[in-house]
Amino acid sequence: MASQENGDVSEKLAALRQKFLVRASEDIQVLRAYAEQTRRGELSAEGLIQCYQQLHRLAGSAGTFGLPELGVAARALEKKLKSQAEELTETENNHSQTIDVNDGFADGVDALAKLVEVKSEISGQTRAAISRADIFEGSHGMQVSVIVMDSGCEGLASLSAEMARYGFNCQTVDQKVSASVQEVLADTPGAAAILCRDVAVADVMSLRNQATAKGLHRRLPVICIGRDGSFNNKYHLAKLGAFAFFQEPVDIPELAERIESLAIERSASVQGRVLIVEDDTELAEHYCLVLQSAGIEARAVSDPLDLMPTLSSFQPDIVLMDVQIGDYSGVTLARLIRFEPRWLSLPIIYLSSEDDPDNQLEALSKGADEFLMKPVSDDYLVRSVRIRCYRARQLSELMNRDSLTGLLKHSLIKQEVEKELARCRRDGHPSSLVMLDLDHFKQINDTWGHRYGDIVIRTLANLLRNRLRETDMIGRYGGEEFLVVLPHCEVTAAAELVRRIGESFAELEFSAGEGSFQVTLSAGVAAINDFANGDDALEAADQALYQRKRSGRNGVTVHSLQ
Amino acid sequence: MVPKKESVPQRVMYVEDDPDIRAIAEIALQDVGGFTARLCESGAQALDVAPAFGPELVLLDVMMPGMDGPETLRALRELPGMAQVPVIFMTARLQRSEIDEYRALGAAGVIPKPFDPMTLAEQISEILARARMEP
Repeated sequence: MASQENGDVSEKLAALRQKFLVRASEDIQVLRAYAEQTRRGELSAEGLIQCYQQLHRLAGSAGTFGLPELGVAARALEKKLKSQAEELTETENNHSQTIDVNDGFADGVDALAKLVEVKSEISGQTRAAISRADIFEGSHGMQVSVIVMDSGCEGLASLSAEMARYGFNCQTVDQKVSASVQEVLADTPGAAAILCRDVAVADVMSLRNQATAKGLHRRLPVICIGRDGSFNNKYHLAKLGAFAFFQEPVDIPELAERIESLAIERSASVQGRVLIVEDDTELAEHYCLVLQSAGIEARAVSDPLDLMPTLSSFQPDIVLMDVQIGDYSGVTLARLIRFEPRWLSLPIIYLSSEDDPDNQLEALSKGADEFLMKPVSDDYLVRSVRIRCYRARQLSELMNRDSLTGLLKHSLIKQEVEKELARCRRDGHPSSLVMLDLDHFKQINDTWGHRYGDIVIRTLANLLRNRLRETDMIGRYGGEEFLVVLPHCEVTAAAELVRRIGESFAELEFSAGEGSFQVTLSAGVAAINDFANGDDALEAADQALYQRKRSGRNGVTVHSLQ
Repeated sequence: MVPKKESVPQRVMYVEDDPDIRAIAEIALQDVGGFTARLCESGAQALDVAPAFGPELVLLDVMMPGMDGPETLRALRELPGMAQVPVIFMTARLQRSEIDEYRALGAAGVIPKPFDPMTLAEQISEILARARMEP
C-alpha cells in the first residue's frame, strides 16, 4: 500500500472532521435555544422530540469524527429524554403543548457546548502548530532552561556553551544588575535551576529570595561551581542554602544529569487519585471537596460492598480508610484488598481516632501502611495526601522506568507504539517511529570500561528528553538501543529532527581519564500509520536502522515501502 | 469438500440520512476499504438505485426519517435480485434485543455507531465471514 494514499485519506478525514465540528456547533446552538426554553418552562413536545433526535444523531456520529467525549455526553442526555420522547411520538396528540423536562437537561446541553468549544480551540491550535515549519525548533516541551548568573569575569560562559550542547537553554544574566536578574527570573518560568560561582552564592540567594517573595518565581535550586572542594567551603555553601556543588573541572555529564533530574521532579505531577472509605457520608463529602479543591481527584465509598468495584474502575494512587465502617472493620478490609495481587503495593492509610499505639501496630501488621489522626485539618489532609500520592507514583515510575536512563522500559515503549497506531487510525494523523542505536558501542565498553558506556547511554537519554516534545515517548529498547514515538510527525520531519540530534550528539566530547572520545549514532525511521500493527512498524524501523548501519552508520535512514 | 472461494463484495450501498456520515462513509468504503460505494440519503432513494447498481452488500442506518432501516430492508427484499443480498444495520442504540430483532429480519449483522472509518471495512468483512459460517 502506498503511503501517498494514506496521506490522502488522513487529509480527507481531517477536512471532514473540521466540517463536522462546524455543524455540531450549529446543532448545539439549536439545542441551547431549546435548553433556554426548558429553563423558562416553555419547551413544547415537538421541541423535545427535536432535541431527542438531534442528540441521537450526535451520539451516533461524534465518535466517528474523533470526538468520542462529545458522543458519550450526547448519549447520556439522549437517555434522559428517551422515555418521554418515545411516549410523545406514539401518542400523536397536540405537540405544541408545553412539557416539563427532566432536571439537568439544560445544564447538560451547556456542557456539550463547552466540549465543542474546547475541541475547536484545540484543533485550531494543532493545525497552527503543525503548519509551522519550525515546529522542531524550541517548541519541545521538555527543553530545560537554566539561569546562569555570572558577572562577566567568572568564566561561566564556556560552561553555558557546554550545557547548550547538551540541549539546555541557558539564560545568562549579570547578578550585579538587579533589574535584569528580576527580568530573567520572570521571563524564564520553566527554569530548573540557577547556576553560579560559589563566591557569588550569598548574592544570588538573596536575589532569588527577593524574586520568590514577590511571587515572580518558584524557589529555584541554586547550583554552584567552584575550585575549593574542601569540607569547610562545602559546609559554608550548604549553610547559605546552595542545592549542589560541582568542583572544577566540572564533570559536565554529571551536572547535566543533576539538572535533568531537577526538571523531571518539577514537571512530575504531584496530583493524584484518592479513594476514601468512610461511612460518615458528610465527612467523606467534606474530604472529597477539600482534596478536589487542591487539584487531587477524590472519590468516596460509604458501603464496603462497593469497595472492590470502585478500586478497579477508579484506580486510585492511595486509599484513605476509616478504621470502622459500620459493621465492617477497616483492618479486615485492608487485608481483603491485599487478596488481589494487583493491589499488593497500593498504599492504604487509616483515618483514625485510634491513638493507642498497640492498636495502631495491630492495624499496620494487617496491611495498612500509615495512620492519619482524626480530626485532620484540611491543610494537613491535602499536604499528607499529596506527599503520599507523589511517593506512590514515584514507586510505580520506578517499576515502569529503566533504572539507568529513567526512560520507559522495553515492554512499555512497545505498548506505546501500539497505542499510537490506534490513535493514528482513529484521528487520521501521521506519526513516526524511530529506532536509535549507538555506533560501535562495544568498543567504548571495551576501551574505556562499562562506567563510561553507562555515561554515554545516560547522556543520550538526557539529550533526547531535552530535544523532544513532552508528548513524544522515549524508551530504552535494548542495551544501546532506543525507541522513540513521535506523534503528529511526518517521517521526513522526524528524520530531520533525529539527524540534528545525531549531529549534536556526535559533537559531545566524553573525557575519560587522560583521553577523550566521541560517539555517533545511527537511526531508522518508519511511519507508524503505514503498518497494520505495531510489530510491523517496529520491524520496518529496525530494517531501516540495519540499512543505515550497513551504509556507514552515523546518520538516519527512512524506511521505504516497496 | 473443496471450500468455495469466498466472494468479497465489490459494490456496496450505504443508506444514511446524515450527509456528514455519508461523506465519511464514502472514504471509509472507497479509499480505505477499496469497495465501489454508492451512498443513498433515504430508503426511497435506495429502492430507486438498487436495481441498476446491483449492490452485493447493503448497509442500512436504522433510524431515518420517512422509511426507517427495517422498512427499507423489507421493501428491498421485494425487488428482483435483492432477496439474498446481505444487509448490515448501522445503529447507535445497541441493545441485545434489538440485534436479535434485526437478525430475525434477515440482517447479516449489526455495526454499532459511531463507527471507526479506518476499520469499517474490516468490521464488514468479519461480519460477512461469520455470516457465511452460520448460514
